[in-house]
Amino acid sequence: MATKPKIKELLEESACSHHKTKKTSCNAPTPGATTGGCAFEGAQISLFPYADAAHLVHGPITCLAASWETRATKTSHTGRDFTQMGFTTDIANTDVVFGGEQKLLNAIDYILQHYSPEAIFVYATCVTALIGDDIDAVCRQAAEKYGLPVVPVHAPGFVGSKNLGSRLGGEAALMHLIGTLEPEFTTPFDINLIGEYNVTGDMWQYSHLLDELGIRILSTLSGDGRVRAIRSAHRARLNVIVCAKSLISLTRKMEEKYGIPHISLSFYGKRDTSAGLLAIAEALGDADLIERTKRLIVREEAALEEKLAPYRALFRGKKAVLNTGGNKTWSIAAALQDLGIEVVATAVKKATEADREKAREVLGEKGVLMMNPGAEQARIIEERGAHLLLAGGRSLYTAIKKGIAFADVNQEKKKSYGGYNGLLNLAEDLKNALENPVFKNVAKRAPWEK
Amino acid sequence: MGEISHRNTKPLQVNPFKLSQPMGATLAFLGVDRCMPLMHGAMGCTSFTKVYTTRHFCEPIAIQTTAVTDITAILDGGDTSIVESVKNITAKVSPSLIGLHSTGLTETKGDDLRAVAAQVDFPLVYVNTPDYEGGLESGWALATRALIEQLVEPTEAIDDDKVVLLPHVSLTPIEVEKIKEFIAAFGYDVLALPDLSTSLDGHLGEKQAALSSGGIGVEQIRTLGDAGLVVSVGDSMRACAEALQKKNPFMRHRHFSHLSGLEGTDALAAWLLAETGRECPPEAIVRWRRRLQDAMLDGHFSLGQTRVLALGEPDHLTGLCHSLLEAGAKVTVAISTVASPQLERIQGRRVLVGDLEDAENLCDEYDLIVGNGHCEALAHRLHKALVLRGFPNWEEVGNPLKQDVLYEGGAYFLCECANTAEKLRGHG
Repeated sequence: MATKPKIKELLEESACSHHKTKKTSCNAPTPGATTGGCAFEGAQISLFPYADAAHLVHGPITCLAASWETRATKTSHTGRDFTQMGFTTDIANTDVVFGGEQKLLNAIDYILQHYSPEAIFVYATCVTALIGDDIDAVCRQAAEKYGLPVVPVHAPGFVGSKNLGSRLGGEAALMHLIGTLEPEFTTPFDINLIGEYNVTGDMWQYSHLLDELGIRILSTLSGDGRVRAIRSAHRARLNVIVCAKSLISLTRKMEEKYGIPHISLSFYGKRDTSAGLLAIAEALGDADLIERTKRLIVREEAALEEKLAPYRALFRGKKAVLNTGGNKTWSIAAALQDLGIEVVATAVKKATEADREKAREVLGEKGVLMMNPGAEQARIIEERGAHLLLAGGRSLYTAIKKGIAFADVNQEKKKSYGGYNGLLNLAEDLKNALENPVFKNVAKRAPWEK
Repeated sequence: MGEISHRNTKPLQVNPFKLSQPMGATLAFLGVDRCMPLMHGAMGCTSFTKVYTTRHFCEPIAIQTTAVTDITAILDGGDTSIVESVKNITAKVSPSLIGLHSTGLTETKGDDLRAVAAQVDFPLVYVNTPDYEGGLESGWALATRALIEQLVEPTEAIDDDKVVLLPHVSLTPIEVEKIKEFIAAFGYDVLALPDLSTSLDGHLGEKQAALSSGGIGVEQIRTLGDAGLVVSVGDSMRACAEALQKKNPFMRHRHFSHLSGLEGTDALAAWLLAETGRECPPEAIVRWRRRLQDAMLDGHFSLGQTRVLALGEPDHLTGLCHSLLEAGAKVTVAISTVASPQLERIQGRRVLVGDLEDAENLCDEYDLIVGNGHCEALAHRLHKALVLRGFPNWEEVGNPLKQDVLYEGGAYFLCECANTAEKLRGHG
């Protein structure tokens, strides 16, 4: 059985574009000046969408109580949806003193007896890692006893950021699941989707198009995922990394181990969706498939344009400031441009170097890349005469103060903005924001204010 | 008295609604004006807490982390991360107070907060809040007690008009405001500690808050010692009242387990009448009592045939159950996050410490659920009526404005429960 993943190796990913200039991708956080999640959170995010696996958090109540039912990772699984359930050993004082391994073992027994999942992911957390509970041994014992995968996930919060945690989640899948089962059959067009978590059903905005083209999603890590599928992922012809860069180590290792090439793309906005579909077809290298994909793109874009027509007039001449993080810094920017909205600035504070390069490419020379959006965005809105601010809830005040429309694009959004159809959702939300009088009305002064 | 089982015998929690001590402490510090809660642990604890409270209150939440890493977890006794945090926080903003609270991680590695706090040359209150003990309610109470012990100046002077209100964690901002007003109506100056009624009450602030915007002032906390009376609400807050009395031997204390329903509010009114020597409360209070009586009668047709599952922190649960039972509802199952002597007071058929799996297993025993946002999925799946109460609630807006306590809130609460139960019966 595999040993714990080597964190140092993951931090120095050779496939990352910044590898040449910077030694580590995840700098240590600054005490008292840091926001953002921890490695445990990242690991959960990357594995949670397996709806047929139970996710057992071995730690005190904080780690799970504040994280279950928080993400709208939709699933088509017809059994009990474990993505919307929380399991935790909720360790107490005595466990900290005497160790929590027996409790963990009992908890695994309990889950298997009451819920019969396809697998169990067991997450270490800060406290149980620090007291030295051997979750590898417990998982091995349980896996042997029940004859199904019981996967230890070594991503206690203190080892690093959310991004690193996602990598560690990917490592766990690679070490304990991938390659443990043969698929019933294979096709020349089998792909794995990596890093698509199907939040708000994003994946379903384009999966039907892949299906129509005859491209089979053999497995996903982990949007709408199934444990059996990921176990046979090693037979795919292509790994497709969707947006997130955090799982690039996993795809590199799968390339080395199983010879599966990978490509990275985004399904946000019209141009990226079209380019993404074509990139998959080209990577699979079938002339007929490429031809069919091109025809499908023409058809889909025409249908989309027709539906977008009523919005075009409203968006003409409108300027937006975008304050978000990660790949959204450029992917949503590109989607806004597809709607005919000029993106005058985007925040790159929380983006990787590759994302920054991409943001510069999308916004062009005139676009502002904000390194300190909290302080910069108000000034830029004024200078450039922006009409719209897209950001997380905390920036609402900036919008109200400037009397411009606001749209929330953070992780708690309820609708999908992915694929061709998602662009219509985005257009509708922006239309509602621009036409809503609340921003002007709330900014009105009270009768007693001068 | 129903069957009470205080011990959870399962080796795990399935679908927990229990929350952590550090989160409770964060909330308490947010009830202090211009405060920066500083959670001593890995980034995730803080990030989770921030997202959780932001979504519940729909407000920006000020909070910082000492960002303990694998290296500092081993090599640092807390000194570097905490001192460095204070330096970084105060370089950007000027808090009136930093509220330092620990987590499971830093308690396990054994950091001595008191010793580190002594090195910090900035107004700071520290409190030990391991998350493998207690829950939201005890975290809030521990932080409040720390504020009292470390800030309030001892005195022997007494201001008979001054009242200190110590509310438990589950009282919403508007409920704290209403209790303050109720007591103030008898001629007192009332200060609440902590006071979410002016910080997280859902007001539109001037700008994005880098610190808590509102709450009791630090200077006001320092001089709480001369209050003639201290009123604690919820058993978790009893120790806080005792800590305050240690600052002034002449301060008197009155404790209320809860202020929900007719009997609970009557107890407060009777005490205030006795204290002031008044014959009758102000007219508004008299009228609200009649409205509550009327709501009890109007609602009893529906409530009398409704079996209720109630879930919550012990102090909150006790109040909710009392209010419902008084109006004839059958509280068949009451589930608490953690054990508390309060649970003995609940006259429900079955009272237990547990999780939402327990609630699900007992689904044949109730028709209406009163509980936090996690109950939305439960109610949907089991086709039960639902009244969302408690922390967190992401399914609805307006959480800071929900009021269930005193005559006024009790009337609204019973009407909402009766209407909700009736709607499901009508369409069920």
